[in-house]
Amino acid sequence: MPAASAIKVMVVDDQASMRAMIRRALQDLGFKDVRDKAGPVEALSAVRSDRVHLIISDYNMPDMDGLQFLEQVRQDPVIGKTVFIMLTGSADKEIVQKAAALGVNNYVVKPFAPAALKEKIERVFGELT
Amino acid sequence: MKRIPIVQGEYKVVAEPDVMITTLLGSCIAVCLQDRIARVGGMNHFLLAEPSGDRVLSADDMQCYGVHAMELLINEMMKKGAMRSRMTAQLYGGANVVSGLGTIGHNNAAFARRFLEVEGIAVGHSDVGGRRARKVEFLPWEGKARSTFVQDSVPAVSVRVPVPAPVGGELELF
Repeated sequence: MPAASAIKVMVVDDQASMRAMIRRALQDLGFKDVRDKAGPVEALSAVRSDRVHLIISDYNMPDMDGLQFLEQVRQDPVIGKTVFIMLTGSADKEIVQKAAALGVNNYVVKPFAPAALKEKIERVFGELT
Repeated sequence: MKRIPIVQGEYKVVAEPDVMITTLLGSCIAVCLQDRIARVGGMNHFLLAEPSGDRVLSADDMQCYGVHAMELLINEMMKKGAMRSRMTAQLYGGANVVSGLGTIGHNNAAFARRFLEVEGIAVGHSDVGGRRARKVEFLPWEGKARSTFVQDSVPAVSVRVPVPAPVGGELELF
């Protein structure tokens, strides 16, 4: 069982409120190292220079969407295997399927309760302590 | 003038003249957003949480509803050409109209104000609180909105509250 406190997380969402909400939820779950960025471009730069174990990213962002972001992560020789969980809208079935094809590890449909986020993370990492 | 009514759980974004978005509010909140340059405007109508039902919602769960409702409106505005940095807001509703529900209307209004502050979206006109229901009319092209009190009780509108996705829904791929 991995310790949540040992998992480094990058949260990517263009909405400051959503970033703050996810950050709070993760901290309540025991995560200690949670960073966040407003867009994939800044996030890519940040995680390339200081790697994380988990990226939680929105799909719908103005400059680069979540699928393009995922693709860039997976093509990167250094950070390509980083766990990637995508946040999607409820009507985005096609997007989830595309994300699965690109190698997303899991997804969370908005609006989600913090408990749902925990459950999705645990499906990838195992039960958190 | 084309009139587009919305009810709880809905939002509408318009980028054309001669359109009015309308809604009836009790405890709920309606946020009207406009980008004056792109001439894109939209309104939503939401409640932080459904006050009845079996499931007890935590404060964090309720926050999710509100943030999601605002995100849908903002994303649709941006799809139609608006820029977040140019958006201004008008805020209506949040009345404590139903006895026994405490200050749910006040909480809804407080959430909306906090959200807009965090996102850096300036609030222009607002008319929130009190105990009476409101009718809101918004002209998205002009960016003008007005609210009028309509009655002393909650308006009777059909309710469509977003629910959190069940863990392991039909789209479970993993």
